[in-house]
Amino acid sequence: MHRSRVTITVNGRQHDLEVGHHWTLLRTLREELGLTGAKRGCDRGECGACTVLLDCKPVYSCQMLALQVGPRAVSTVESLGTVDSLHPLQTAFLKNDGSQCGFCAPGFLMSAKALLDANPSPTEAQIRLALSGNICRCNAYGRIVASVQEAARLLAKG
Amino acid sequence: MPSSNIGVSVPRRDLLEKLTGQAKYTADIRLPGMLHGKILRSPHPHARILAVDASAAARLPGVHAVLTPFDAPDGRVAPDLPILDTRVRYVGDEVAAVAADDEDTAQQALRLIDVTYEPLPFVTDPVEAMRAGAPDVHDGGNLVGGKPITLERGDVEEGFAQADRIFEDEFATQAHSGASLEPRAAIASWEDGCLTVWKSSRGIHADRLSLSLSLGIPRQDVRVIGPHMGAGYGNKDETRLAAITAMLARRAGRPVKIELTREEEFIAGPHRHATITKLKVGVRRNGTITAVHATTIMDTGAYLCSGPGVIRRAGQGALYLYRCANARYDGYLVYTNQPSAGSYRALGAPQGHFALESLIDRTAEEMGIDPLDFRLKNHVGPEGQPGERLTPPGEILDTQPVEGGIPFSSNGLRECLEKGASAIGWHERRQTPPDARSGRKRGLGMSMFIYRGGPGGKSTAKMRLEQDGSVTLTTGVADVGEGSLTVLAQIAAEALGIPHDQIRLESGDTALTPESPITAGSTVTFSSGMAARQAADQLKSKVVEIAASELGAPQESIEVAGGAVVDATGRRMTLDRVARLRPVGALQSEAAIVPGSADFVVNAFGAHFAEVEVDTATGAVRVLRFVAAHDSGRILNPNLAINQVEGGVSQMLGFTLSERMLTDARNGATLNASFLEHKSPTMLDSPPVEVIFADVVDTVGPYGAKALGEPPSVGVAPAIANAIYDAVGVRVRELPITPDVILDHLTLREGR
Repeated sequence: MHRSRVTITVNGRQHDLEVGHHWTLLRTLREELGLTGAKRGCDRGECGACTVLLDCKPVYSCQMLALQVGPRAVSTVESLGTVDSLHPLQTAFLKNDGSQCGFCAPGFLMSAKALLDANPSPTEAQIRLALSGNICRCNAYGRIVASVQEAARLLAKG
Repeated sequence: MPSSNIGVSVPRRDLLEKLTGQAKYTADIRLPGMLHGKILRSPHPHARILAVDASAAARLPGVHAVLTPFDAPDGRVAPDLPILDTRVRYVGDEVAAVAADDEDTAQQALRLIDVTYEPLPFVTDPVEAMRAGAPDVHDGGNLVGGKPITLERGDVEEGFAQADRIFEDEFATQAHSGASLEPRAAIASWEDGCLTVWKSSRGIHADRLSLSLSLGIPRQDVRVIGPHMGAGYGNKDETRLAAITAMLARRAGRPVKIELTREEEFIAGPHRHATITKLKVGVRRNGTITAVHATTIMDTGAYLCSGPGVIRRAGQGALYLYRCANARYDGYLVYTNQPSAGSYRALGAPQGHFALESLIDRTAEEMGIDPLDFRLKNHVGPEGQPGERLTPPGEILDTQPVEGGIPFSSNGLRECLEKGASAIGWHERRQTPPDARSGRKRGLGMSMFIYRGGPGGKSTAKMRLEQDGSVTLTTGVADVGEGSLTVLAQIAAEALGIPHDQIRLESGDTALTPESPITAGSTVTFSSGMAARQAADQLKSKVVEIAASELGAPQESIEVAGGAVVDATGRRMTLDRVARLRPVGALQSEAAIVPGSADFVVNAFGAHFAEVEVDTATGAVRVLRFVAAHDSGRILNPNLAINQVEGGVSQMLGFTLSERMLTDARNGATLNASFLEHKSPTMLDSPPVEVIFADVVDTVGPYGAKALGEPPSVGVAPAIANAIYDAVGVRVRELPITPDVILDHLTLREGR
């Protein structure tokens, strides 16, 4: 198995790593960097549980090789906010019960962050479209939409 | 004074951890020196394994252990399921396993295992499987138990003889996967002959017993830890994966983790049972029902799993939803060489209710009665079914009874029907006959349902007041993602008289928690809730006793409120002070209860209403609105309850309109083991759901609560199917109702 050294920036920190050429970004995050927030729900680009941001764009980290990341900044759910200092999305998900088992939550949060960064006051239809690449098998979709709407309001208030 | 603990939308306990990415699921755990395992699966639907040559795999650098049916222990993880067997029964059945330094090496090693199979004749259809001469999936025949289960109240033949009209139809439902987003995973580690297993689990204590029996080690030497669970919907109650992982770890002398791939999860994770139901209803001219007879054939696939419970539940609607002296159910549970079926939210109830509530809709229409009025006229009332109680007095009643003569602990079915109808605008619905010639057509449909749940197995809880004043609730039941632990803390807090956020929770580890049942059958809030309430009551008595003696006040004058003890004169003592009055140790209590009632049947109820739009050009069905009215007793946490109902409804859109596990009848292979091809609903499919809770406080449940987790999934398919009929005039009797099915029906009807 071929390996190469890469430098990737994750949550504002640079990591110099030796990665297998076939390693996905998801595998690299979880196995090499110990960042297990992004989940392996399908490993085939269908469920969105592994969604992270690449610069500002949400990507399925299971569908990208670590070697492909290049100079772009990777952000995972671990960078969104902490227990003591929550991101408005986290505050809104907490208040509106925007998750059940929680396995999809990191992916939904990162997709929602990308949406709100680009469009601070989305319509419900825009929210549903932007999050349609993430599957929630508990089907907490109604609560997730309500959470994102509330997060948009919180962000608007500053 | 309104309670600060009950009926309050407390945020779910573990949500903060989940939203910050800190919550650890099984796959997130990494032990030092841990190896990764992979499982070799059968390419044959039925075969005998004559030999396994794993020597090349074992020699591959990085491989540390191999397990085959010829060297696995003889124990069974379930009555019909060895750890590994020399006979495989479906495409995907476990054959052998390896553990290696990493997943890539383990995967490579699998390719080096040489298995000699003797293919056997196979059968993938349950009706075929019951015919004489069909290949036996297990020794002893394919009809489980050798005969159907038959349950009868009154005499259906007599009932049909009294009927003026008889309606009869046959219905079919498909296998579909719960497809929880977290694939199954297990980690095993041995130390001094003792085994610790981390696994995605809905019942750590049951898993512990199963592992102890299958591996042949004392139960005390097995510890099962259930980390956060990426949901199960009834699944994840099996231990074969954990037993295989444990054997690899024992051989390798190092911890081993196995994570199933998504494809494996779809194939080896049990599905909802596919069914065929023949249903017959007898009705008098005045619209009263004289007899109901349902016969269900259910495909359990290669292994039994929870099949015996599921086959029983498919009959509950036919036996109990409509007031009727004569009802009968015959259930056939059949082995085939298909992937196993198992527990999936509401077990057989959605299948049985699809048949029942579809046929009732047709019955009402052909009798010239509005479907809502027909249900209002015939639904089972608070008094229960006509007939005589057969259960001896004083004995705890079955929550799925057949006998009549027993009232319900509460029954808000009528309120659900009335409030739901009003919310969807039932009375204003279009009266003109459907016209399917062109364009998009809208229609309204409804269903109602009954669901056993609430009282489950013997349930336990412990409480502890430490000398620093902290209070802990310990329970061995798993929160499978529904939020039950949050609700148990609310119940315990209310009983003790402290705010809910002052309760610490201890759970998810057999070493710390008392023996508890699996999270199943919508029983946790009710049954473990009763235990939590009792444990809290006991702890409170102890607190009161100590405080009374210290204050020199009568015990009756003492109250616990807001986290402190207060006597009639207003003297106050904080709980930590009370606790420190004991010389050593914490104040503790422990409750073990048999939940249920000797006087009442405890059931949940509901009514579902759907508005759909059918595109007659494409056959596509869109659910525009859904109203779900539920009687689950008093709602202890509204936000969590609404999420359960909305989620259950949306999840079952898949069952109704799109999801299906497909196998190739020629070779038994699963054809669509992926999210894309299994077609679960996304946010774009999920309709707005209006949730209504009946104003019911149950007479038995803790603080008036009843079952909630599964009922939302029971009425969805028939409500939508009936709405489709209302829209375009075709009755679809087979799920899922995909666009091609609608088009076929429309074409057939119009003779095109």
